[in-house]
Amino acid sequence: MSMKQQYGQPKDNYHAKIIAKSTGIFIVCVILTLLCLVPIYILIVNSTHAHLDLAQNPSRFWFGKSLAANFKTLMNDLPADAGKSAKRVAAQYSSAFNVGRGYLNSLIIAGCTTGLTVFFSALTAYGLVVYDFKLNSAAYTFIIGVMMIPVQVSSAGFVAFMYNLKLINNFIPLIVPAIAAPAVIFFMVSYMKSSFPLDIVEASRIDGCGEFRTFLTIALPMMKPAIAVQAIFAFVANWNNYYTQNMILKNEKLATVPIMVSKVLGFDKNIDNGVNFLCVTLSILPIVVVYFILSKFIIAGVALGGVKE
Amino acid sequence: MSKLTRTLALLATLAMASSAFVACGGGNTESTGSTAETTAAADGSSEEAADTTAADADSEGGEEQSAGGEITLPSDDDTLTVVCWTDADLANMFDQFSGHAKYQNCGDNGGDASTKYATYLNSGDDVDLFVAEAGWILNYINDDSFSAPLSDLGITADDYKDAYQYTVEIGTDNNGVLKGASWQAAAGGYAYNADLAEQYLGVTSPEEMQAKIDSWDKFEATAAELKEASDGKVTIAATIGGLWQAFSTAKNAAWVDGTTIKTDVAKEFTDMVKGYVDNGYVDPTVEQWSTDWTNVGLNGETLGYFYSTWCLGEGAQLEQNGGNAGNWRIVRGPQDFFWGGSWLCVSPNCNTADQAADFIRQFTVNADTMEEYALYSGDFVNNKVAMDKIVAEGSNSNPLLGGQDQFAVLADVAAGIKMSDSISKYDQSLKDTFLKTLKDNINKDTDAILDAFTSQALADNPDLSAE
Amino acid sequence: MASAAQRRIKAISYAKYGYMFIAPFFLVYCFFQIWPLIYTFILSFKGNQSSYADFVGLENYSTILFGKGSSAGAQATQQEFLKALGNTFILWFGNFIPQILLSLLLAVWFTDAKVKLPGKGFFKIVMYMPNIITAASVAALYVNLFGDSKYYFINGTLMNLGMEEPIKFISDPVVSKIMVMYIQTWLWFGNTMIMLMSGIMGINPSLFEAADIDGANSSQQFFKITLPLLQPIMVYTLVTSMIGGLQMFDLPYLYHNGANFSRDLETVAVYIYYSFNKGTVAQANYGYAGAASIIIFIITAILGSITFYMNRDKDAIAKKKQRKKAEKQMKAKMKQGGLTL
Repeated sequence: MSMKQQYGQPKDNYHAKIIAKSTGIFIVCVILTLLCLVPIYILIVNSTHAHLDLAQNPSRFWFGKSLAANFKTLMNDLPADAGKSAKRVAAQYSSAFNVGRGYLNSLIIAGCTTGLTVFFSALTAYGLVVYDFKLNSAAYTFIIGVMMIPVQVSSAGFVAFMYNLKLINNFIPLIVPAIAAPAVIFFMVSYMKSSFPLDIVEASRIDGCGEFRTFLTIALPMMKPAIAVQAIFAFVANWNNYYTQNMILKNEKLATVPIMVSKVLGFDKNIDNGVNFLCVTLSILPIVVVYFILSKFIIAGVALGGVKE
Repeated sequence: MSKLTRTLALLATLAMASSAFVACGGGNTESTGSTAETTAAADGSSEEAADTTAADADSEGGEEQSAGGEITLPSDDDTLTVVCWTDADLANMFDQFSGHAKYQNCGDNGGDASTKYATYLNSGDDVDLFVAEAGWILNYINDDSFSAPLSDLGITADDYKDAYQYTVEIGTDNNGVLKGASWQAAAGGYAYNADLAEQYLGVTSPEEMQAKIDSWDKFEATAAELKEASDGKVTIAATIGGLWQAFSTAKNAAWVDGTTIKTDVAKEFTDMVKGYVDNGYVDPTVEQWSTDWTNVGLNGETLGYFYSTWCLGEGAQLEQNGGNAGNWRIVRGPQDFFWGGSWLCVSPNCNTADQAADFIRQFTVNADTMEEYALYSGDFVNNKVAMDKIVAEGSNSNPLLGGQDQFAVLADVAAGIKMSDSISKYDQSLKDTFLKTLKDNINKDTDAILDAFTSQALADNPDLSAE
Repeated sequence: MASAAQRRIKAISYAKYGYMFIAPFFLVYCFFQIWPLIYTFILSFKGNQSSYADFVGLENYSTILFGKGSSAGAQATQQEFLKALGNTFILWFGNFIPQILLSLLLAVWFTDAKVKLPGKGFFKIVMYMPNIITAASVAALYVNLFGDSKYYFINGTLMNLGMEEPIKFISDPVVSKIMVMYIQTWLWFGNTMIMLMSGIMGINPSLFEAADIDGANSSQQFFKITLPLLQPIMVYTLVTSMIGGLQMFDLPYLYHNGANFSRDLETVAVYIYYSFNKGTVAQANYGYAGAASIIIFIITAILGSITFYMNRDKDAIAKKKQRKKAEKQMKAKMKQGGLTL
């Protein structure tokens, strides 16, 4: 009896400890979750308020009634009898933050760069893993060596060069360089080395399949998991890229979402805070929604890739 | 060599682009790839077209333009493209302009715009005219790769006999070629909230108000009175930036003499404004050109703003910062001043010359259309005949100012503007740096502030030296 | 055993395909990266503003590093660059330390089998979320919420609650730095956490079991097992984050009010960008931008070679493992074969 008590107590203690610890951790996690979500929530709430309401009291915790009005301003869809002031505000916002065009431009750039990055990285990785040639290891060493060079280092020269080529206000300097993505190649090479059976190449050669077709029809499908992971990262990175896009694109028609946001942030007149918040909301909404849909997959990808871009 | 590189580069990129279709084959890629190619093709053809039609225009262009000289730039595009950094003025102009025009907003506040312009104007994208600001226009009109003479559009200095002469002087480059035409004479005044003035100062008319602030000493005394009466709730001026405009410009002191940075006026101003801040006459945290600027007016926390003429029209700053209740009035303030000013400049790549010439004439030469524009936009236009007529006829009444005619107040100010000797191409950057340094270090002593400013200015501009 | 076809294939040299497959990468890389880098290098020997076309040798380097140059502002330029370098390290350090500590703590908690945590998956998803939001939008979000005056959400709320003076979250030199560190941490802690989690989960669980049996408590387990074994991935995180820190641009550049970026948050990347992106060639400081870029390049090269050697080691280790595994399998096969024979 007394023995049992003696043994029983620490066990209860142990359980109590674990529960206490778990509760503590849970509370910390809830706080962190709130820190992540509340700014987004407040942002959305603020985008449903009118400018004058926010001017009187910016401390809004619940939704207002002006979302539709703000949206109409942003779309430059005002009633005919709207004042000149309102019209100016609407004209300014709709031309600087043309939502549809921004999404489209960002989608074109992010889509193309993603396609080019994963395809050519897979191609390069395949070339390095499958073929044995004199400069193979030198090439791989080079790729690893340059992997870490930040874009800023060459940006002065890059812009001056694009300037000379008259490639300013053009998507080419933003899309074509995506062919060369050392970090992605590095990842793909590691992936292929660990999970791509080289025998299969030989087998397909025996079947008379050309080298490029072997890559397209056999290797590429087998690399799907790696491609999917890198495609997601490449897409997010390029969708979010502000630095390079901002240097190259000066034409409103070509502006991407990050450029539009920075423009709205830089407005010095005709400011409407409700619409401002709406713009920021619209700039993060698509990627956040897509993220939540694909979140499990993305998180698994981060764990797998560990490539910080 | 550069030609070779360029050709090679284009070949390489085209090859890449075409291999890109094969690569992903997605709908997206294909559509961009093809648009990229077609635009490239279109660019090429338009360049060719420009070359050939330039000759045609030479032969026939002159006959149509009976009013002025010969137009030597081509007119083979049907849309006039005006590059600007703010659409406020152009929106007003396009409401009146009958031609087919659009603007390309480089979309940054005045100071930053000049950084985007250089890139944009060199990009090869369509540009016929561009709008340049007093603070940095010299960078552009003194470089022939950015700007063409107005005479290429058949417009000469003779067309500007009735203009305020300083606008012509500034629009003329180092070689004496006229390259910019301004539609406005950017005279400024002090706009105040009449309700607050009555409540705290007992002022009932603009004349009384002017009498209370017609020198800096009186302005300061009134600021103290206002602070007392309002229990410190209302400041006399919204921002330090506004005070700076009013204080500095009429002193006609250049930021730069040769390549030496001058800080005399800045020193004087710093001494004065530090006193203002210490006494609570102005709130140094209120950022000009931001929500704060607007809100202090809307919420009745400031008595007034120093405004330039382009702030006074419907939909402009006066309304944004003050509401449209019509309870504002304007006076000349402690000192005549002017603020900014915009010039229309011609791009050497202009390919809509006829319309561009029409546009410039309508807003900078023709007194009748300029009068119309002044009444529509509230902007003080760059034509003495037009402005005298409006003032004499009393045809302008601004509802935001309770029916007051701002032009009558500003007419003499505009006539007195002498800006041309004192501007430099560094002005915008130096002014921004100074005001930022001043605000950030407002609690330090004057010398420290000026040292910090000089040091920053020198770091930014290796061309310059300190006194 | 080899068929005729196989023999024929063996005889063909496939080396040329190797070159063909990697050619696009090298062409594009040279054209869009190497040449601009060389161009930047050339620019670093040219003058600034009105003397942009002149060759000035190493003067830009001596100006930004030692304050010795022909321009009157040489010392001011040096101060500016060193300030930017200092800001870069302060901002990096100030976000890396809290970020790695928080991430490590969370990673340990999330991988601890003894902790019963409901909604673990949800927490992970939400904590990673900031990382996918555009940095420009994040800057806009925080600027619009944390504005300096009572007209913005945070200050407005605090002042409604009775605070007297607004906190200058944006223009105060110290507070704004703390804010940027906070936002950077906010952006990256989820990412680092998941990377560390995958590192922890890669540790052989039998080690923890053995430690449990030996009566080691969780902090002992953490310091004696988790941390030492996590070291490679921690160093990797450190170096990548450091290089990422050197590129810090979007947030410091956009986190400001008024027309210009905040000088208190000026990082090297912002310095470079601002120096060459100032309008016409005669307004810009291409020389300083070039020199600063090359200095950053050298710093990155040093940091990069550290990771390079680490990665190589990892590869070598992996290869060794594979070889051993293969040998084992071979032996096993041979044994099997021996048995069947």
